[in-house]
Amino acid sequence: MAYDFSVVLRFQDALALGLWMTIKLTLICVVLGCSLGFFIGLARTSRSAFLRAVSSIYVEFFRGTPVLVQLFWIFFCLPLILGVELSNLASGVIALTLYMGAITSETFRASLKSIGPEQLDACVALGLPRRVQVTSVILPQAVLRAVPTLLSNCVSLFKESALVSAVGMADLMFVGQNISNNTARPVEVLTVVALIYFVIAFPLTRAVTLVERRVLAKLAI
Amino acid sequence: MTMSFSAPLVKIKSLHKSYGPHIQVLKGLDIEMKPGERVVVIGPSGGGKSTLLRVMMGLEKIDSGSISFAGKPYISSEAADKKTVIDTEVRRSIGMVFQHYTLFPHLNVIQNLILAPCKVRGENKASATKRAQALLERFGLGAKASAYPAQLSGGQKQRVAIARALMLDPKLMLFDEVTSALDPELVAEVEQVILQLAAQDMPMMIVTHDMWFAKNIASRVIFCAGGVVVEDGPPEQVLGSPKEERTRDFIERVFHIRH
Amino acid sequence: MGYSFDFRSVSFGPLWEGLIVTLQLTVAANIIGVVLGFPLALLIMSRFAPIRLPAMLFVEFFRCTPAIVQIVWFFYCVPMLFNVFLGSMTMGILALGLNLMAFNAEAYRAAIQAVPREQLDAGIALGLNPLQRTLYIVLPTAVRASIPVLLTNGIGIFQQSALVAIVAVQDLMYQAKTLATETYRPIETFTIVALVYFAVSFPVSQIVGYLERRRQLMMS
Repeated sequence: MAYDFSVVLRFQDALALGLWMTIKLTLICVVLGCSLGFFIGLARTSRSAFLRAVSSIYVEFFRGTPVLVQLFWIFFCLPLILGVELSNLASGVIALTLYMGAITSETFRASLKSIGPEQLDACVALGLPRRVQVTSVILPQAVLRAVPTLLSNCVSLFKESALVSAVGMADLMFVGQNISNNTARPVEVLTVVALIYFVIAFPLTRAVTLVERRVLAKLAI
Repeated sequence: MTMSFSAPLVKIKSLHKSYGPHIQVLKGLDIEMKPGERVVVIGPSGGGKSTLLRVMMGLEKIDSGSISFAGKPYISSEAADKKTVIDTEVRRSIGMVFQHYTLFPHLNVIQNLILAPCKVRGENKASATKRAQALLERFGLGAKASAYPAQLSGGQKQRVAIARALMLDPKLMLFDEVTSALDPELVAEVEQVILQLAAQDMPMMIVTHDMWFAKNIASRVIFCAGGVVVEDGPPEQVLGSPKEERTRDFIERVFHIRH
Repeated sequence: MGYSFDFRSVSFGPLWEGLIVTLQLTVAANIIGVVLGFPLALLIMSRFAPIRLPAMLFVEFFRCTPAIVQIVWFFYCVPMLFNVFLGSMTMGILALGLNLMAFNAEAYRAAIQAVPREQLDAGIALGLNPLQRTLYIVLPTAVRASIPVLLTNGIGIFQQSALVAIVAVQDLMYQAKTLATETYRPIETFTIVALVYFAVSFPVSQIVGYLERRRQLMMS
């Protein structure tokens, strides 16, 4: 059988729309998920046992179950429980935001933990009040240290976003599968889809390494 | 100073401190320090020297005892509830420099220096920056104002750390093994800065392993071992002809290793 | 809204069968990943570019594309490209196994490169030859160091295995989808299935946490 990659070109507009949906979904959930993850990360190091327990259960549960199951649950169960119709996009955003919140909270927690106790000694010796310790010394360092891992969390989210195709959202993967089924040319179409994901994700993973090196160089004391 | 000549600057009374139930680090320490004194604390590792400084800075809880500064008690522990009470207002008169620099790595040199004056005392940024720049010039760091800690050598970092502590106009400086982490060729530049401060009669308490430095800077030397003061006197006596057996042993061993 | 819960209508028979399939997929994929990941790690560290570059491309491709794309691609394209069809279970194992192999190769590589330079210097100073240094210094240290990541990756593939439901392998997720549709009980079914996945994953992640804490204690 001869392979004919020009088939793909005929569907470039549809694929572009699908890619746009994938990117849109990823960007929205990066912003929402990182914000959620930041507060969950703080809650996990909080002094309140209640906050710690609730945030731990949330994180462990979302890290301990397949994203596909989470997605199905949000798509099929959440509307029943809430008694409202959720649009596809809304369900996708909720599911992937919760996923992203769980993994980035671990990133923030690890970066908070990596700030040595001697930094706090210095704060005390300079007489800095608690509020200033947190806003001027701890948080800026924690965020800076978190940046490389957050970037690689974003790559993970970008990849996991392909799962929404399984619940009928018209993202890149969904469009690709549709075209592949209709044209009976899976080799050409699916390979191109895989390559599109690759050319976006690969440079990002390289960027992670570069950013990591820069952050480490800056924070090395 | 408003107090009379003989009034102590620091008065440490029967200080006890332990880590957990079995490790007693300070076993009833009594020290009085007069204004203008430069006290060097020497002694074997684990003898409680660094713990003493950390307690004076309010970084460690204590089991019992009290510390006063300029006549005002600022650290005490009531035996009843074992809670360490710290008067942070008084504590602000004390500055401390640590072995591992502890500069804030995300801030440049000037930002490190002006953070506390601006945030604690509400000083405006322009005047704090001006004072910081002057201090850096004095310590030979004028060109490094906008460098980040990672771009500095160990000796430069430690000089910045000293400048940072001085920005709050401390009435007493604590130096906790500030040259121990440095490469040998960088030790002198840091010690020069401390000697400069000594020349201006800054009261200080120094923990160090460098006996040459101890001899040069001390107006008084305390030998601390096993959580108590073993010997206390002028440097010529404690370092030169110690009275106590344990001090003699220690001094001999230290100097033996150096030759 | 009045959704009445009814967990009794969820029949556990199919779910149990699905879980067995999921576990089989996981174990088989892990055998491939743990065993073949190591030689792959050696390939991506090779000094010889014609060996290193294809190996790196293989690893990066699996790491930089969605697992669902890999699995769908594998099921549709491999039979057409190579004119074979191996049965859906075998295909599932291969797709997951190759994915895990790529991730584990990275874990091994990181662990090998993390062996401190001084350890090797000490080996040279003791007169060990390169093979001996690899066998007695690099391997034991690296394998031990990579265990937490291998476990994490292994449990990751347990979760990723839910994706084969999309290409009709009758795993836990597949059974859940069927059951939810047949019984009109999505909440009960998907909740139970989520809990089953969690019940397997959570203890393993706790073990990983324990190993990492112990390692940090030993290093300090």
